[in-house]
Amino acid sequence: MVGTKNIIKKELTRVFTDRKMIISLFILPGVMIMVMYSIMGKLILNLEKDIEEHIPTVYIQNAPDDLKDIMDYVDYKANITYLGSDDKTDTIHDGILSGDIDLLVVFDEGFRETIDNYKEAGDPIPEVKTYYNPSEDYSSAARNEFISSVLNTYQQALLTERLGNIEQIQVFYIDRNPDDSVIVDEDRASGKYMSMLLPFLINIMLFSGAMGLGTDTITGEKERGTLASMLLSPIKRSEIVFGKLTSLGILTGLSAIIYAVSVAIGLQNLTGGAMGEMSNIKFTPLEIIQLLVILIVLVYFYVSIISLVAVYARTQKEANTYVTPLYILVMLGSVMTMFSGGTDKGLQYFAIPVYNATVSMQKLLIGELTGIQFGVTVGTLAAASLVIISFIIKAFNDERVMFNA
Amino acid sequence: MIQINELTKIYKLNKKQMMEHKTREKIMKAVDNLSLTAKPGEIYGLLGPNGAGKTTTLRCIATLLKPTMGDIEVCGYDTVKESEQVRKRIGFLTNEIKLDPQFSPKYMFNFFGKLHGLDDKNIDERRNELFTYFGINDFEDKKIAELSSGMKQKASIAVSLVHDPEVIIFDEPTTGLDIVTARSVTDYLKIMREKGKTVIISTHIMTEAEKLCDRIGIIIKGHLVLEGTLNEILDSTNTRDLEDAFFELYKIHNKEGE
Repeated sequence: MVGTKNIIKKELTRVFTDRKMIISLFILPGVMIMVMYSIMGKLILNLEKDIEEHIPTVYIQNAPDDLKDIMDYVDYKANITYLGSDDKTDTIHDGILSGDIDLLVVFDEGFRETIDNYKEAGDPIPEVKTYYNPSEDYSSAARNEFISSVLNTYQQALLTERLGNIEQIQVFYIDRNPDDSVIVDEDRASGKYMSMLLPFLINIMLFSGAMGLGTDTITGEKERGTLASMLLSPIKRSEIVFGKLTSLGILTGLSAIIYAVSVAIGLQNLTGGAMGEMSNIKFTPLEIIQLLVILIVLVYFYVSIISLVAVYARTQKEANTYVTPLYILVMLGSVMTMFSGGTDKGLQYFAIPVYNATVSMQKLLIGELTGIQFGVTVGTLAAASLVIISFIIKAFNDERVMFNA
Repeated sequence: MIQINELTKIYKLNKKQMMEHKTREKIMKAVDNLSLTAKPGEIYGLLGPNGAGKTTTLRCIATLLKPTMGDIEVCGYDTVKESEQVRKRIGFLTNEIKLDPQFSPKYMFNFFGKLHGLDDKNIDERRNELFTYFGINDFEDKKIAELSSGMKQKASIAVSLVHDPEVIIFDEPTTGLDIVTARSVTDYLKIMREKGKTVIISTHIMTEAEKLCDRIGIIIKGHLVLEGTLNEILDSTNTRDLEDAFFELYKIHNKEGE
C-alpha cells in the first residue's frame, strides 16, 4: 500500500499547491453559492415585504352605509372606489385580469335591508361577492385581507346587533391561545423541514464536486500522458486506482463541506431565522457516526462511477459529456425523495443506490432511521462501489483503454 | 538481458484509426514475428522509419502492451506474467509518457523513487548523481510546465533512471535535444554499458546508431529485416555507411506485401 499512500499524497499536493485549482475548485463555487443564496433570499424577502406594503386598489359596489365605520374601526387601508348598482363592472373585471385592479367586492342590492328584514329560517340571506385574480400576488393578498379584517368583523358586528349576545352562537371556543396547543419535538419539526432540502443539496454538491476533479485526475492525466508514467512503476494497478479514488474522495468531501458552509452562510445572511432552525437539529453521537458513514460510502460511490466513466473516455471533453447524464440521474434520484418523505418505504428501496442514501439522510434528520435500513443502505453502496472499482482496475490493466492501443 | 521470442503485436483499429492509417483493414500488424536478444554490457539499437514498430516493440518490453503472440523475457521475468518484477528492473523513456507539469523535477524524482520502494537516503544519493550529471540542479524546483523541452527531456531521463535499473529502454532519447544535451545522453548510455547494463534504444538517426550501438536491428513494416554489428550490416548489404544500407533494405522490404 506504499504506492497508494504516495499517490494520495501526490494528488493532494497537486491540488493544494496550485492556486488556480484552489480558486476554481473551492473558493469560486463557495462564493458563488453564497452570493446566489443571498440574492435568492433577498428577492423572496423583498417580494413578501412588497406585497405587505402594497396598498390595494379595491372597487366596492353597493357598499352598505355602515361598512365605512367598520373599515375605519379595523384601520383598513386601500384605494377604494365606490360604485352604485347601475355602474358597469366589465372594465373592472378586465382590470383585475390585467393586474391593474386588485379586488372587486359586490354587495347584493339592498344588502342591509335584507339582513334587517330577516325573521325566521327560509327568509332571504344576502351575499357578498369578491372578484380577484389568484395568479396575481397583490390580488390574492388584497382579497384575504379584505375578508379577514373587514368582512369577518362586519359579520360579527351584525350578528351582535341581531342577537344581542354573540356567545349564544359561539357555544364553545377552539384554541383561544393557539401557541399553547402546539406540542412538537423541535428537533423533528425543524428536521422535517430541513430533511426535504438537505439530502438533495448534499447529493448534488458531492456529485458536482467529484465531477470536475475526477475527469481531470484520470482522463486529464491519461490525455497528458502522465498516467502512463505511473503505470510503469512496479506497483499494482489496484494501488494506483485506490490512490486516485481515495484522494478524489478526500477532495470531494472537502469541497462538499465548503459548499455546505457557503449555503449556510448565504441563507443566514438573508433570513437569520431559517438557519437558526437548522442549528436546532440535534444528533446523538450514534447518528453523527451514521451520517458520516453514509456520506463516506456515498462519496466513494460517486467517485468510483465518475472514475469509471473517466477511465474509458479518451479526452476530458468526452468524459464530461458522458458524466452529464449521470448527474441528471443523481438529481432525479434525490428529487424523487423530496416529495415522498412522509411515507414509509419497504426495505428493498434501501437497496437502490443514490435513492437509498437520500432517504436514509432524510430519516436520520428526523430521527427515524432504523439499524437495518442503515445497514442495507451502506452495504449496497459499498458493494456497488467495489464492483465498479473492480471494473476500473480491469480497465487500468487494459492496454486498449490506457493507451488507445 | 532482454529476450524477445517471435513477438507479434496486432492492433484492432476503430473507424477513426482506420482513417488515420488510410486502410480498410480492421486490424493492423504493428510487429510481425520479431525475435531479438539484447545482452548486458551492450547497447542495442532499433532502427527504422516512423510506424515501423519500434515503439510498439519497446512498449511490449516495458509491459505497457501485451504481445498478441510470442513472449518477452526481461532479466528472466515474463513481461505478462511477472510484469511487476519486470517494471522493477527497467527504466523506460518515451515521448508520449510525460511527467506531471504541475510538479518540479525534484518532486517527481522523489515521488517515483518512493513508488520504486527506495528510501529517502537512497533517493537523495541518486538525485545528486543524476541531477549533477544532467545539469538539472539549476531548475530542480521549477514547475515542469515552465521548463524548455530540452530541460523536460533531461528531467524525464533522470526520473526514469531513479532506481538504477538493470535494463534501460529509451525510445528516441535524443529527439528534441540540442547537440550538447544529446551528447550527454549518449555519453551516459555508454557509461551504463560500461556498468554492465542492458541498453536498448530506438532511433531513426543513422549517425547516432552508427556511433552508439554495438548491435543494430533494422525494422521495416514490423519485420526485423537485418540484425548485426555495423560492419556485419555494411558487409551483408554491400554498402559503405548505415544510411545506404538502410535504403538498400528499405527498397527491398518496403515493396513486399504491397
